[in-house]
Amino acid sequence: MRSKVLEKLGLAPFQRADVGETQVVRDAPGRPHEGKVFAAVHAHLDDVPYYAAGLCAKLISEGYTGYIIRTSNDEKRGGGTPAENILRNEQEHYRMAAALGFKEVFDFYYQNHEMDAISSLDIRGRLILLFRLLKVDTVISFNPWGHGEENPDHWVTGRAVEEACWMCGVETDFHEHLEAGIQPHPVQEKYYFYGRPGQPYNRVVDISSHIEKKIDAIVECRAQGGGNLGSELRARLAREGKRLPLLGDDDRTADREFVRQFLLDDDREFGRPYGLAFAERFYYIDLRPPARSKVDEYVARHAVPL
Amino acid sequence: MQRRDFLTAGVTAGALPEAVPPGQTSASRTDPALPRGVTATAYANRRSNFSPFTTPDYYTWADDLVIERNRPGKPHRGKVLAAIQAHSDDIPLYAAGTVAKLIDEGYTGYLIRISNDEAAGKTVGYGVVQNEIDNNEVAKALGCKKAFSFYYRNHRMDDCAEVEIRARLIFLFRLLRVDTIVAMDPYNHYEENPDHLVASRAAEGACWMAAGRHDYPEHFRAGLKPVAVREKYYHARSPQGHNLVNRVVDISSYIDVKVRSNVANRGKGPAGANGSRLRQELARQGKRLPLLGSTDEEADFNYIKHFLMEDFRLLGERFGLAYAEAFRYIGPDANYAQNIRRYAEKHAVAL
Repeated sequence: MRSKVLEKLGLAPFQRADVGETQVVRDAPGRPHEGKVFAAVHAHLDDVPYYAAGLCAKLISEGYTGYIIRTSNDEKRGGGTPAENILRNEQEHYRMAAALGFKEVFDFYYQNHEMDAISSLDIRGRLILLFRLLKVDTVISFNPWGHGEENPDHWVTGRAVEEACWMCGVETDFHEHLEAGIQPHPVQEKYYFYGRPGQPYNRVVDISSHIEKKIDAIVECRAQGGGNLGSELRARLAREGKRLPLLGDDDRTADREFVRQFLLDDDREFGRPYGLAFAERFYYIDLRPPARSKVDEYVARHAVPL
Repeated sequence: MQRRDFLTAGVTAGALPEAVPPGQTSASRTDPALPRGVTATAYANRRSNFSPFTTPDYYTWADDLVIERNRPGKPHRGKVLAAIQAHSDDIPLYAAGTVAKLIDEGYTGYLIRISNDEAAGKTVGYGVVQNEIDNNEVAKALGCKKAFSFYYRNHRMDDCAEVEIRARLIFLFRLLRVDTIVAMDPYNHYEENPDHLVASRAAEGACWMAAGRHDYPEHFRAGLKPVAVREKYYHARSPQGHNLVNRVVDISSYIDVKVRSNVANRGKGPAGANGSRLRQELARQGKRLPLLGSTDEEADFNYIKHFLMEDFRLLGERFGLAYAEAFRYIGPDANYAQNIRRYAEKHAVAL
């Protein structure tokens, strides 16, 4: 549980509102996060693939167990009827999650583009249940305070995540969960997407060694996200009697190379100032308590024998 | 023993004693002042006027009305009952006899309170604490296994997200494996309390959605399973109200339990310690009311039984019972698929 007293005692770091120093996060050797759990919470099929697929692949390779939660039903994207779009995005969400190595997929299916009409309590309650059940240590999601966010599904999701992160550690919130043996479990680390130009970031994560996974994820986003643009271009050129060598000799290669060539400019740009081939930006919040509180330290320094 | 020994059907509206306007205790009303050719469809309840929170102004009696009597043994063993109330005194006043009866007949009972009851108490804080205690004590008095409280703000529940309350009820129904609920009727006409409306609608929706595979599937990840709530006892609120009644429950054997559950409600309402307060007031005036007995405990019990249960006695009297509670009962669905299959088997002919 986070409280003002715990914050003052140095047991629950106060959440900084400023951006702070930008740090570059590189690959960690071994499996330093073994036993830890993260949840990537996004609104739409292609959010995590574009904003955080490299980070997700990196954390999983370093020992995290990853879960992905999609909050909308994506009915507005996919080229079909709303019903057809829901099915298409649902199935592609499973495939995208598998490509990144997520252990499990959860879909809430709130109506796409209309999530500002839903009950914030309902979605928050569902996230609290999942965070407790899965014992989520770290979340990856939208910055609930991110400037320029025009999509209501994004800010509704981000806000629900933000609130669920600390409330899931409070035993009096949804106390019926305890009756089911599901214990409070506060989230201790948060990575918020750099979702729009101008949004704050304080972590640049080197995803160079995970870029193939990121491409794997994006190419599964065909209903939305441009995952099939390569094969579509290849087919169009073929009809015109042309060929683009970049796209290779099959649709899979065409899709992957199209993504690599045309859809990863942001990742290249984010890495360039730091000498990285590809990077993702995040606003990182560390809520892990220190090993010793201010009181512990004071006692250690000043306590005298009776 | 046969079910019909305990469930007596066929008491029609025409067989009921005549109705009287609210506030009158007279048992006869010969001139209903209805225009010629117009038949009454709602019946005014006889009221003692000792308490507003007993039976509603009107009932509409269903022609398949059933009187549910005591059942020997533990016929409901293994079944689970959730009594759902917006406020700590709703179930005690309106349906405690039936809850006590069902628990005595084998149900495992749970009491779920939706509001925090903050509107009753010398300060909001005191009110919340006293009513929390009361809710737990009511659960004990009724023999419930456990009490839950959701603590939504009293009198402001129309400001809550109904979908969220419903979700929490779905979670509890699945967790506790609820078969039957006792709750306020979500279709109470002239209901004036928003907490009642919101709580009962949330319960109504949760009853069937708890069985859905696609409603809150994350619950299944937590090991819960869908559960269909198969029986519902909806009670009326009062005083103003007009309710369809198709079940009258004989609570004669449980009236003292009902009284005790109302004694437990000390934070608000017409029951609690009002008997001992009246006894003390009379004593200060040099008087004594024999029915209140000689101790505060007796006074509280007897006050409730004599005054607050009187309308339930009057209701029972109409059916030859000492005390009764009335409900809109909704039972298990017929097995439609099986019925069609049976019909097909019976009527199918060779190709």
